[in-house]
Formats: sequence, structure tokens, C-alpha cells
Amino acid sequence: MRKAAEWQLALPLALAFASIFLAPLLMLVGVSFFNDDKITQPGFGQWAKFLGDPFSYKVIADTMLLGVKTVCATVLIGYPLALVYLDASPRVQKVLIFIIVMPLLLSVVVRTFAWIVVLGREGVVNTVLMQIGVISEPLRLLQTELGLVISLTQIEMPLMLLPLISVMSRLDPNMRDASAALGASRWRTLFTVIVPLSMPGLVAGCLLVFASSTTAFISQTVIGGVRLIYLPLLIWQQSLVVFNWPLAAVVSITLLVSVLSVVSALSYLGRRSSGYLHG
Amino acid sequence: MFSRRTLLAGATAIGGVSLLPAIAHAKGIVTAATYPGVWEDAYRSIVAPALKKKDDIELELQPLFAVDQIAKAKAARGAPPFDAFVLDPGPRITAIEGGLFEKFDGKKLTNASKLPAGMIDEWGVCVNAQVVGIAYNPKKVPAPKGWKDLLTDPWVSRLGLTGFQTTFGTVSLIEIAKVFGGSETNIDPALVELKKVLSKVAAVGQPAAMPSLFQQGQCDVMYTNTQTVATLKSKGVDIDFVKPETGAVAFFTTLHLAKGTTEAENAYKYCDIVAGKEVQEALTKPPFNFIPINKDVPLPDYLPMKSLDEMSSYVRHDWAKINPLRASWIEKFNKEMAK
Repeated sequence: MRKAAEWQLALPLALAFASIFLAPLLMLVGVSFFNDDKITQPGFGQWAKFLGDPFSYKVIADTMLLGVKTVCATVLIGYPLALVYLDASPRVQKVLIFIIVMPLLLSVVVRTFAWIVVLGREGVVNTVLMQIGVISEPLRLLQTELGLVISLTQIEMPLMLLPLISVMSRLDPNMRDASAALGASRWRTLFTVIVPLSMPGLVAGCLLVFASSTTAFISQTVIGGVRLIYLPLLIWQQSLVVFNWPLAAVVSITLLVSVLSVVSALSYLGRRSSGYLHG
Repeated sequence: MFSRRTLLAGATAIGGVSLLPAIAHAKGIVTAATYPGVWEDAYRSIVAPALKKKDDIELELQPLFAVDQIAKAKAARGAPPFDAFVLDPGPRITAIEGGLFEKFDGKKLTNASKLPAGMIDEWGVCVNAQVVGIAYNPKKVPAPKGWKDLLTDPWVSRLGLTGFQTTFGTVSLIEIAKVFGGSETNIDPALVELKKVLSKVAAVGQPAAMPSLFQQGQCDVMYTNTQTVATLKSKGVDIDFVKPETGAVAFFTTLHLAKGTTEAENAYKYCDIVAGKEVQEALTKPPFNFIPINKDVPLPDYLPMKSLDEMSSYVRHDWAKINPLRASWIEKFNKEMAK
């Protein structure tokens, strides 16, 4: 009787989820099975068109690769930063947290356009490098994959650092002392104690950064330009420019499935590492 | 102490009274779709007060891109969420084909005689002109003469390109195609020629990012409309507009009555006030820089034409032919330009 009452309490939330999340998702799947942009002829035409074009696979691979590169860059920069945080005094930690969270307070559009100023032909980076004589001609940083990964690394960094710091802050400092007392060097302690223990936070950060960077339409198109084609650009073109909603739905589902596959794999890794640590 | 019943009655009375001023003052209301950004700002700050002052009609604006206007109107099936559309030529044709407009009676506009011939048809009224040509930075590159110059040095290495996503991008690429033997329905020559020089091109970007890229010196030549040139110029950017030797391109933005609107009379008054001298003149001023369509409004100096009639000689395009081809053009552009 009591269980039934609890189940009923959860019903409004379940219904809300069903109506605002599940129903549109089902509609999206439904729309993808129409051949024409007026959504009148059911069929697999749009799926056949998209999956039969080798260009689609290049775009899918590029999108996933962009996510992987951004994740690698955020880990390479974010992990040492988290270690600095771990060893800092409480006052410095507060300052660091403020610096880490600050970018989240700015709109992604503002942050992205700011990167045009930084990476542009007459931007901060090129001006400094030319003034100190490192280069004689401006480097092409905007509208390149390198420039895009650099900007996404900064934009997505809080998503890596917050879960990482959250997990690392809960590590028992005695573990490190014990490792040192047993004769392990600082590097060995890092790789055999701290990294394995912080794995759940690292995996959570990777998961968030990957999902966010592969779907970052504004950054991808503004910083990367339209020669770097990723799945979100195709969705935008089909849904908002040529009104071909069935094809837009096909590309959306492809993006959803691709991202979910990688995220699920990461999530599985996270669970395993968590089980390894606690079990 | 108050009983619950008394409290409820009091609250209802207070709530009811608070609605009274609105009912008492609003003679009418009209809901109009408008483009987000400059259009919304301009219509909120200029058109809405003018309509309220002249006809005592409240203007409620719904900022929506063209596709959203069409999608919402289609989804509403005869009970439109707004009374008036604002659309560029491409989406206008889509909406006409979809039966989303009421027939338009130009005689109901008091300003009809102030508009050049052909500005009102059976579907709506033109309220803004756009002139597309080439913008360049006079401090960095010489003035190009026409579309062909864009693909040669010194302009090509400073060129900023956009694809077929926008009206101005589409018409510019059509004009480039024409110079190389293409036509309104054949843009392949433009893509072939662009591909040859692609490695030199300074930027291939999203339309919305182009003004920023120009401002930051990422590119010094681009195709765009006079409104963007005037806006950048007012911000101190070194930019000039060139009318290509084969002619600048002109197209018009139009207002339409939504099928099934219950506020047709107020919607006509809204269209009329937008076409009127007072509003049109205010819209030509910075930061809006619209091109007026009312003959009584003097044209700003930066425009390439001396009078509105001159625009009849500008290049125009048939969007009924372009619309069905646009999806395949976008696909081709993606594939040809992709790194």
C-alpha cells in the first residue's frame, strides 16, 4: 500500500518527462521515416540517402574525432590544474574555483565571438607573435581544426574540472602519505594512487566534454567556419534553411546515437573503475 | 481576521481591477512576427510606439526566423499564432505555396500611393529593400570592379565567403556563377571556379559571423548587403560598398496577413504604419540602416542608387525557380568546400 502511494507520487514527474522529452524524441524518430520534406510519404528514403552517401560517414567521423581531441586537450590541461587545486591552500582554492566557474557565467556566444578576437588574423595571438618576431606573416588559426580545438578546450574546461575536483577533493590525503612512506616516488604515487582513485571524476568530465563539444554548433560554425563540417551544421541547414525536416531528423538521430554510444562506453568505464576502487 | 472566502474575493477583485487599465486603454491589438535582432529592436522602438500613437493599437512582436514563422503557421492549421508575417523572397514563395497568407488588399493602405509601382501585390506589401553587392576594406585592397575580381588576386586571398544559407549569399553565388557562364538555375560554374582558388580564400564562414570576421581583419572583401556595410561603418570599421559592374542585386522584404487572422483590420493598419514616411525615415537611421521603400523618404548617402526607381534596373531573381534547387546547392557547397 505504501509502495503504491510512493509510485503515485512519482507519476506527475514521470508524465512530465514523457511529455517533454520522450514524446518529442518519438516524434523525431517518426518524422525521420518520411521520404518528402512535406512529411506526407512514409518511407526510408531519407535514411537511405544519408547512409548511402560516403560524405555522411566523413562528417560523423570528423564530429566524433573533434570530441576526442577536445577531451584529450581538456584532460592534458585540466588534470594538472586539478592537482594544483588539490595542493593549494583553502584561500587559493576559492580563487581557483571562481576562475574555473567564471566562464560558465558568460554566454557561449560571447565566449565564442571573443575567440575570433583572440585567434583572428589581426588578433591577440598573431599580434603578439609578430611583435616579438616569432612570425613574419599572421598564422591561420581561425577556421582551422586546431583553432577550434583550442577554443573548445577553454569553453568546455569547467565541465572537465568540476567533476574532477569534486572527486579529488574527497581523496584521503593519508593514501599519498602511505604511498610515499612505502617508498614510491611522486610520479609513481600519481600514476598508481591518485589517477586510479580520481578515475570516476575523470570519466565524468570526459563524458560531459565529449557530449558538449560534439554538439557545440555555435563554436563549431563560428570558430571552425563552414569548411569544417560537423553533424550539428547539417542539422541546422536541413531544418532551418531548406526545411527538410525528415533529413534533419535522420542527422539528429545519427548524432544522438553516435554521441550516446561513446558516452555509454565512457560511462561503463567509469562504473568499472568505481567498482574497482570500492569493491 | 479575514476568512478564506473574504481573502479570495479580495484577491479576485484586486486581480480584476489590475486588468482594467489595459482593457480601457487598448483599442486593439495586433501580433506580428518579426526577425530577431535588428528587426525586433527597430520594430519595438519605432513601429510599436508609432502604431500606438496613430491608431491606439498595441503591437505585440514575436521574434521568429522565416522558417519558424512558416513552421508555426503550418502547425497552427488556420488558427495562426500571429496576424502578420515578415518574409524574404524565398520563404515568401514557400508560404504562398503552402496557402499561409490571406489575400492582400492594397487599397486599404493609405500609404499605397507613396510606394513605387509593384511594391504591393495580391499577397502583401514590400516594407524594406535590400541591395547586395561587394564590401571591401579600402585601406587593405583596391576596389573590385565586379564578381569576377573576387576570385583573382589581390582580392581572393582576402575574400570571405558564405554559402546558400541566406538570401544574400544565394544571390551573390548565383551572380558569380553567371559571370562564369552559369545561370539562376545553374550554380555549378561558381563552385568549379571557387574550388580552384579555395586554398587562397581567407574565410568561409557562417553568415552571422561574417561582420565579425571582417571587423577583425580575418577577411577584407565579402559579398553582403548595404545594411551590414552601414552598420559596420557606423562602428568605425574601414568598409566601402561596390556595385558590381554587372549590377547590384535587389530584393524586398514583405509583410503579409496570416491566413485565418481575426485582426485583419489592425494588421492592415500595422502594414500601413510600417510603409508610412515617419516610420520608414526613422528606420533608415543608425543603428538600423534599413533601405526605405517610401518615395517621400530621402535615401541615405551611402546607398549606390539616387532614387528607388533606379532599383528597377538592379538584378532580380525568381525564387520560385531557386527554392526547389536550394537544398541540392547547399549539399554541393558542403561537399565542394569541405576540408
